[in-house]
Amino acid sequence: MALQCRLSGATFQSLKLATIPISSSSSRFIFRTLPKTLNLALFSRHSAPKAPPFSVLIRNLSAPAVAAAPAAETSDIKVVKPQWNAAIDFKWIRDNKEAVAVNIKNRNSNANLELVLQLYDKMLNLQKEVERLRGERNNVANKMKGKLEPSERQKLIEEGKNLKEALTTLEEDLVKLRDELQIEAQCIPNLTHPDVPIGWEDSSKLRNMVGSPRKFDFPIKDHLQIGKELDLFDFDAAAEVSGSKFYYLKNEAVMLEMALVNWTLTEVMKRGFTPLTTPEIVRSSVVEKCGFQPRGENTQVYSIEDSDQCLIGTAEIPVGGIHMDSIVAESALPLKYVAFSHCFRTEAGAAGTATRGLYRVHQFSKVEMFILCRQEESDMYHEELIKIEEDLFSSLGLHFKILDMATGDLGAPAYRKFDVEAWMPGLERYGEISSASNCTDYQSRRLGIRYRPSESPSTTSKKGKTNLAATKFVHTLNATACAIPRMLVCLLENFQQEDGSVIIPHPLRPFMGGVEAIYPKSR
Amino acid sequence: MALQCRLSGATFQSLKLATIPISSSSSRFIFRTLPKTLNLALFSRHSAPKAPPFSVLIRTLSAPAVAAAPAAETSDIKVVKPQWNAAIDFKWIRDNKEAVAVNIKNRNSNANLELVLQLYDKMLNLQKEVERLRGERNNVANKMKGKLEPAERQKLIEEGKNLKEALTTLEEDLVKLRDELQIEAQCIPNLTHPDVPIGWEDSSKLRNMVGSPRKFDFPVKDHLQLGKELDLFDFDAAAEVSGSKFYYLKNEAVMLEMALVNWTLTEVMKRGFTPLTTPEIVRSSVVEKCGFQPRGENTQVYSIEDSDQCLIGTAEIPVGGIHMDSIVAESALPLKYVAFSHCFRTEAGAAGTATRGLYRVHQFSKVEMFILCRQEESDMYHEELIKIEEDLFSSLGLHFKILDMATGDLGAPAYRKFDVEAWMPGLERYGEISSASNCTDYQSRRLGIRYRPSESPSTTSKKGKTNVAATKIVHTLNATACAVPRMLVCLLENFQQEDGSVSIPHPLRPFTGGVEAIYPKSR
Repeated sequence: MALQCRLSGATFQSLKLATIPISSSSSRFIFRTLPKTLNLALFSRHSAPKAPPFSVLIRNLSAPAVAAAPAAETSDIKVVKPQWNAAIDFKWIRDNKEAVAVNIKNRNSNANLELVLQLYDKMLNLQKEVERLRGERNNVANKMKGKLEPSERQKLIEEGKNLKEALTTLEEDLVKLRDELQIEAQCIPNLTHPDVPIGWEDSSKLRNMVGSPRKFDFPIKDHLQIGKELDLFDFDAAAEVSGSKFYYLKNEAVMLEMALVNWTLTEVMKRGFTPLTTPEIVRSSVVEKCGFQPRGENTQVYSIEDSDQCLIGTAEIPVGGIHMDSIVAESALPLKYVAFSHCFRTEAGAAGTATRGLYRVHQFSKVEMFILCRQEESDMYHEELIKIEEDLFSSLGLHFKILDMATGDLGAPAYRKFDVEAWMPGLERYGEISSASNCTDYQSRRLGIRYRPSESPSTTSKKGKTNLAATKFVHTLNATACAIPRMLVCLLENFQQEDGSVIIPHPLRPFMGGVEAIYPKSR
Repeated sequence: MALQCRLSGATFQSLKLATIPISSSSSRFIFRTLPKTLNLALFSRHSAPKAPPFSVLIRTLSAPAVAAAPAAETSDIKVVKPQWNAAIDFKWIRDNKEAVAVNIKNRNSNANLELVLQLYDKMLNLQKEVERLRGERNNVANKMKGKLEPAERQKLIEEGKNLKEALTTLEEDLVKLRDELQIEAQCIPNLTHPDVPIGWEDSSKLRNMVGSPRKFDFPVKDHLQLGKELDLFDFDAAAEVSGSKFYYLKNEAVMLEMALVNWTLTEVMKRGFTPLTTPEIVRSSVVEKCGFQPRGENTQVYSIEDSDQCLIGTAEIPVGGIHMDSIVAESALPLKYVAFSHCFRTEAGAAGTATRGLYRVHQFSKVEMFILCRQEESDMYHEELIKIEEDLFSSLGLHFKILDMATGDLGAPAYRKFDVEAWMPGLERYGEISSASNCTDYQSRRLGIRYRPSESPSTTSKKGKTNVAATKIVHTLNATACAVPRMLVCLLENFQQEDGSVSIPHPLRPFTGGVEAIYPKSR
């Protein structure tokens, strides 16, 4: 959601976006608000258009004393240095300006394409100018190799000195300009799959529906009431010990969590995924590279004091990072991971939204799928991921619908996103339980994950010399396999019985030591 | 370890204590260094002994203008207000001064008993003085009810005004004095079980030994090498994504972690413990009340930026907090919990200590036992806890010894502590894998957990009126059931086979889907 790319006037939008799904989905979890300091710097630059820094410099080359002044002025434009660079294809963006502009509009992003293109042109010009000056300086240096009149030599020395100073200034400016360009360009969202409906969330398209709402012939309870009667969780103690929206799971809820995690891991591993547990504290830069904003007022990310680390909101982050800055063999692709982690979210701004009980909490367990693949295969693996989700949830006996999310509901990294919304009879609505996103090369361009296509058999060169093909960026996909608290909501509310017990779905029973139902405790 | 109660000269001690066991053990995990600001405040007070604030105040009662000056001076003594109060039995401490002093010495604590007693006396005196003044003020008020000469009345008004001002000042001083007393007294460690050996760690007494080191007829590998060959973890990627001493578990290591957690929970639940999962973000005050120091330079605790919350280093903290500030029914005791959580530790100062591979890490999974019981039963439950640990570890086939830890190795909260050290053939040494502590009333006096003894049958009063007995403070105990990474070290190193595989102990196999061994992957 690049709408948050600036702080100004994004209040309404932030509130809407604060209703973050508990599943992995990158989209709503993202706050593209840049840190305040950065925004102020950008604004102050925009409000002082009288001194176009670079053109002035170029014109003042032969008068270094004068040139020094605008240079100092330029350094006052405090462009915050990006901590890392995304490998953004600026040329492609320029050559596909129209399409990028339409995409930014469709996704309700407030990325500033004009500014990006303007900065890019400036940078290209400045680059040329730098090269020209380098050439001139070399000329002067060459001239000085011959025999010269002292006055002529003096003039050349002077000229060389001026050129050197000008060059130093321009090179510094070039660095700053590149940083500025990088920061602006990072706001541009991923492209969008042609089939994605255009509009806000209500434009999202129903892909398919599984099962139907269970009919109850007794008054139904919501999961909070069931949990209270069966002694399954404690929100009150957690509010004292930790704060609101924290909880203890108790008794069978603990075993149910374990069973869900184990069963899900087992099922997904059967499909060829490598299981992982991940660090839950990661560097902020990795969070950013995955398309999340760890800083800023409305951030969803808990930061660790006195460090550059923060807590993960989803295992997508540490799994995305596992191949960071590396080139993987094409033969190793696809890399399919299924990761178990705890996830932590501040839920800033979520006050007042649907937050009853386990639906929206600060900490939860989640099993997440993640795929790195060749570019031409990401659509196929996106289908595979949503199929696995469908299999898992339907084998638990849930009724749910799968939505192809509209452009306005996609996070900046997602090219396409399928959400699963399951029926929660106690809450009397559908609630998001998972989400599957194809992020194409958005994350991998930031994380620096490439692969080297193997040569086609016809081009194997003679003499055993291999023609190394150019590297390509992998595509990344992520999908929730099981977000425990929302799954507990579904299981408790859908499988409650008239006698107050809750039936455990068959697939989970072997993972709960054969327990078939949760009964009220006799006290 | 109350030695850390002040920052001064504790450097050596801090370094030693930085080698924190991965298991729950409160002891070495504790840094009793108070936050810097607090210490500075205390030092500045000590360095200005010229103005004994309270006696001065009392003597200048009839001269309010003069009294105001020392009062202002008193407020300059910035005694940091404790955020919470421990229910410390000062009278008992005073009446058992000798025993407390010996205990402080035995435990190498630098709690300042003299200062505590001095502050306590001062507080008692000031309390009396406040009561005396209140009486005088009442006298004056009573006198004014009668008919009086105007001059006489004027004198009484003046007198009443002076008394009121003096009283206000004294009452403020009393609050400050109580705070100061509280902060000093919180440094006093728990008492010590009479059987605990006195001295440093090497004085710890062998309680018993189980099994014997396995004889290998092939060259043994350490867990790091085994993990590399079997593709079980990734420290390199974690170092990039998170930092050093973080790790991903992969493949069978993930399943082994799940199996260990599940099996341990199942075994401990069989023994009547209630399973829990807990919040992993808690208020700093709860961390303090459990006897850990969340602030200060060498803290083991990760704090959350811009909040009063931090990450738990052990589930002992949120489980200890679950009954915070409450009175439980005696019939509900003992309360036995077994909690699964992730734990987070900065390991500040642990550089250079035994830190290979999984032995000392920033994040790990742990199953922790916790008991709240009647005072007279804590020794018995301590035996029960160490028996459970012994049962668990011996049924996995480990060789280990159980130590009764010496006074110098007890944390401030522990009355007695048993450590389990298991043989790790790859590391070629015994390593701590768990610890069981009886904290008697140390934590419960801070957490405010009491019970009301039921009346003995003979004293049930007539007319159905119940004589409500005075509340007592519960005793708390904690013990590691399974600290996963150190258990992985044990399992991999002890059960490695000549062919490079690792066999899984029988009890875990039903929890790994029947997997009996980990074999090298064919690539």
